[in-house]
Amino acid sequence: ENSPAPLPERAIYGFALFLGSWFGFILYIIWAYVPETWLFSLGLTYWPQKYWAVALPVYLLVAVGIGYILLFGINMMSTAPLNSTDTITDNYAKRQQQKKFQEEAIPALRDISISEVNRMFFLPEK
Amino acid sequence: MEERRYRSASGAPIALRRRQHSASCRELAVRCPRLQLRSLSAVTSAVWLAAYGLFVLSENSMVLSSAIFITLIGLIIYLHFVKIDQESLLVIGSLGIQVTSSYASGKESTTFIEMGQVKDVVINEAIHMQKVIYYLCILLQDPGDPQGVSEVVPLFQSSKPRLDCLIEVYKSCQEILEQRKTVPQSS
Repeated sequence: ENSPAPLPERAIYGFALFLGSWFGFILYIIWAYVPETWLFSLGLTYWPQKYWAVALPVYLLVAVGIGYILLFGINMMSTAPLNSTDTITDNYAKRQQQKKFQEEAIPALRDISISEVNRMFFLPEK
Repeated sequence: MEERRYRSASGAPIALRRRQHSASCRELAVRCPRLQLRSLSAVTSAVWLAAYGLFVLSENSMVLSSAIFITLIGLIIYLHFVKIDQESLLVIGSLGIQVTSSYASGKESTTFIEMGQVKDVVINEAIHMQKVIYYLCILLQDPGDPQGVSEVVPLFQSSKPRLDCLIEVYKSCQEILEQRKTVPQSS
């Protein structure tokens, strides 16, 4: 079952991730700081250029910053413009079926047309 | 004929003028605030100060004359294409609805929608630029489906009146549109 309680498997996953992330971090620090000649003398020659040790974090942070602006822009672009019928109705409301009216029962839930809603709100009943 | 003051969605003062020409013909006009002298002088001073700063840096006097040019041309384009002075709605029962926008330079742009195409005039609310606004719109009939709406024509787009003004316009329009049902139309 899906419960958020702490389980032994989750503790093991957590500890493995913790060790893995420490290992990755130490490896990254060694790659970034240890001079190339020392690494070559150990026999480790096939490593990416050290340029990437600075470039990748910068790329990541700029991507996060642009992501905020991009998400904002995508939201604004997905908003229906004022002259589209999406502000009034949609496919589900067009194809809904009228249930029969039963006496003394609560009417079934359905989408009411905007003309009717306007009349109810704005025209005072006499 | 009466005129009442209201506010637009952004807080600017607008005025609604109602005229009843006959029992089935009404004209509703919303007048937007005029171009303010303080905003015009603020924009002009900002552009000219920036141009003077550029001139000091570049020692090229063309920057100054082009700034004057840009300001003049920009003002003319703004008054002719952007700044709307008055938006009016003329509802003639059994004929149609005419929407007119008059610009500050005197240009008028008109749209006429005949009554057979008009399904209803309603107040709709929608999200517009991080705000939810009420706006009046004409729903056009879908020729194939009597219950469907083919197109939505938003009205008073640049003056954007608030709900109290919209309710007045809505009631006036509905009084005329109701006459369509009682008087049988001859097609």
